[in-house]
Amino acid sequence: MKRDLTRREMLVASGALLALPALPAWSAAPTGPTARVAVAKCKTYGPELLPALETMFDQMGGLDRLVKGKTVAVKINLIGVRWQRLGTARMEDTFWTNPRVIAGVVHLMGKAGARRIRVVEGPWSTPETLEEVMLSMNWQPQDILSAADNVEFENTNYLGRGKKYSRFMVPGGGLIYPGYDLNHSYEDCDVFVSLAKLKEHAATGVTLSMKNVYGATPITIYGEGAGVDEPSIRPHGGRGGTFHFARRMPSKSAPQQKDMSLPKDAGYRIPRIVAELCTARPVHLAIIDGVKTATGAETNYGSPNRPQAAVNPGVLIAGTNCVATDAVAMAVMGFDPMADRGTAPFANSDSMVRLGEDLGIGLRDLSRNEIAGAPISEVVFSYSAVRDRLLAAAKKS
Amino acid sequence: MAPSTESIPMRWPAGPLEIALRKNVKGFSPETAELLRAWLDPASLALVQGTPVNCLVVSWASGLPEDAAQQQALKPLIDKGRQAGLDFAGIVEGKADRQAAIAAAQSAGLAAVVMDGDPPANAGIPVIPRCERAHLAWTANSPLLGISDGKWPGIPQDINQAGGPTNLPWVDSNGAVLQIARALAPGKGVWIEFDPPPQAPSAEGYMLAVADPASYGARWVISLDDALRGDLTAKKQPALDTWNKVAGMAAFFEQHKQARNYEAAGLLAVISDFAGPNWFPGEEAVNLLPRLREPFRVIARSRAAAASFDGLRAIYYVDQEPPEAQLREKLIAFAKGGGTLFVPSKWPNPEGEPAPAEPYLLFSMRALGKGRLAVGKEDHPNTYDTVADIQNIVSHRNDLLRLYNAASMNFFYEASAQGGRGVIHLLNYSRRPASDGPLFYVKEPQKSARLVSPELASPAELQWAPQEAGGAELALPRISVYGAVELES
Repeated sequence: MKRDLTRREMLVASGALLALPALPAWSAAPTGPTARVAVAKCKTYGPELLPALETMFDQMGGLDRLVKGKTVAVKINLIGVRWQRLGTARMEDTFWTNPRVIAGVVHLMGKAGARRIRVVEGPWSTPETLEEVMLSMNWQPQDILSAADNVEFENTNYLGRGKKYSRFMVPGGGLIYPGYDLNHSYEDCDVFVSLAKLKEHAATGVTLSMKNVYGATPITIYGEGAGVDEPSIRPHGGRGGTFHFARRMPSKSAPQQKDMSLPKDAGYRIPRIVAELCTARPVHLAIIDGVKTATGAETNYGSPNRPQAAVNPGVLIAGTNCVATDAVAMAVMGFDPMADRGTAPFANSDSMVRLGEDLGIGLRDLSRNEIAGAPISEVVFSYSAVRDRLLAAAKKS
Repeated sequence: MAPSTESIPMRWPAGPLEIALRKNVKGFSPETAELLRAWLDPASLALVQGTPVNCLVVSWASGLPEDAAQQQALKPLIDKGRQAGLDFAGIVEGKADRQAAIAAAQSAGLAAVVMDGDPPANAGIPVIPRCERAHLAWTANSPLLGISDGKWPGIPQDINQAGGPTNLPWVDSNGAVLQIARALAPGKGVWIEFDPPPQAPSAEGYMLAVADPASYGARWVISLDDALRGDLTAKKQPALDTWNKVAGMAAFFEQHKQARNYEAAGLLAVISDFAGPNWFPGEEAVNLLPRLREPFRVIARSRAAAASFDGLRAIYYVDQEPPEAQLREKLIAFAKGGGTLFVPSKWPNPEGEPAPAEPYLLFSMRALGKGRLAVGKEDHPNTYDTVADIQNIVSHRNDLLRLYNAASMNFFYEASAQGGRGVIHLLNYSRRPASDGPLFYVKEPQKSARLVSPELASPAELQWAPQEAGGAELALPRISVYGAVELES
């Protein structure tokens, strides 16, 4: 394992030092922890993947420091109706965290001394085990389960193996909800990892490590078929009715919306819910799979104005702060992480990284974080350019 | 000639009885009456010339004063039609004098009558018993059975169709009842009746109305909306184009009828008598399994003791009352041999020992020999959750087929009894192609796969794309209504 880099070494290594603004300009800037974010080129999920992940973790100060002797929960992303792929492209090459990345991260965590690793997700509207969901996609879940000792899966759409839901209150009282009730796995862990995909989102502009935490909310409480008073036993429906549009409230057993007059606009609500979830259930390690992914939306949800394509940005991003990591990821996608509502990618929504910054999670200003590994300029993959090309091609045809 | 499983029926609404039956129905107008008179004209039969339609179904007797006039008025049409090789079947319903109606039908040269309720013995003319699907006498002594309450297939307009990026739409299909019909009345032909919805369907809507029953080996009694029939009478080209598509779809299934002898294939079997209180949970399970993309077969409880369970990994015994001793013994032997047997909560004295299971499941699991017995926890469980749990417990590990990029589609799989050939029927209930073509995962790739569809000028050879974890995928072109993947090993 490489030794920790000093902040200055990290900045020099990344070439970011020259880009730093003069210190006095920070005086009025938002406050929050600076963080280390590592960027790696990785064109395939082949033999180059594991070394790339290992190098990134080393650049961040070493995985052992974070996970040794700890119970780790790794929240992966298996969004949407699994039967709806983007053409013939596989889900793991477009919308879902790739199983090789999952297995690679699990393996390295085991190697770094993690005591127990629980891979968690709430796949859409199903109580099926994660193994079953993976099998239905022709994955080999055993590859993940055997990547380290003491690896297990849990579908966190419902109570699962727990006896009760765990309550996570939002420090400062929250923006939409004062707190959330989640599956026990999110409390059982010492270390919480968001293992996300590098994607755009139809409602929130981007979906990265912060937005991935949104899928931790149990459908039995926050789904369209959730119980009114108490959580339902089984998950039914998506979260849109409750979270996107406030058509219904969570089960009364969970913390309720603070102010019923708040806008019922997904572009207002989701970024706030995501930001406060990330303060209530802090992310210790954010990892974003941008090796292969899709442009346009978070799942197969394209439209003539929002064309989609399977793409190969060939990049991995990881950091110990989800706001900083997502800010770097946005820059890699060709977006300005300082953008706010009205500017791409936040054409119709508030910026969840800005809201995360407002809540003190981290800083979105790249110059105020430590970026290691591949310079962003070398890995930029413009999602807007892909969209423009697709729109132009569609216009021509 | 008596109507048979080869007959292709079409509703031919015409005559004074038809007018009497419809005059109090919303939307009836003088133009409607005129149209119903116009279709009495033998010249109107030109419409079906050169099409596969070979049996016209007319209103014959309803116990109304117009019955006699109807039978008289139809005479020229029937005579001309018979000369042209067409059969006629007369509907006898309501308070009609059944014996008199049958005698009149014989005299008029009808090939059969279609009759509500139990057919009379020794009628002297073929009687096609017709009933609502839950009450049909499946064992009636007739080679043809009529289902009077079929559904117009498609995505119902009154249900949220999309709901967001993560939703599968509800679809209305006749597949469930027709699969049950094949199990309860093997070898018999089924005519299923349903009328177009108030909003006149598109050509694709009509094509789906033909394809939905035909793919399951049954026949839709083709029924056109008044506007289309009026336009056809006026020989308007768009109407003729629509009609040609309808007839073309019917012809397609005649050209591909070899698959009618194939048998449904899957790792799961649903066993029920589909009678009385068992009808709803049985039909609903058969209706919902396609939405879970789970290939399955239906076995009539009366035949289950003698049926082969080869190739099955799981059996869902639906009925509230326990099976007969012989069948129970066979089902338990299936589980002991390594299968999973799903039974309702009222299963007496469950065999095996309790086994751990996810608490949300609607079944309590019991270890039984090399297999499992899953006993329902609730007396009246939600059917969707029930079949979803069955699929979950059986596991996707051994899926024969998976379908992607086809949210509005259902598929079912049939294989030849001898093996070596199979067909995957694919029906698109949205009646328009999705942005991406359907994609099939096939666990055991075959020597060849080709797509046949009335939407293609010629069959399309499909390419196998081997998958790293085993199996192979077949990418299909976009389909509006119907296609079939023919597999050959």
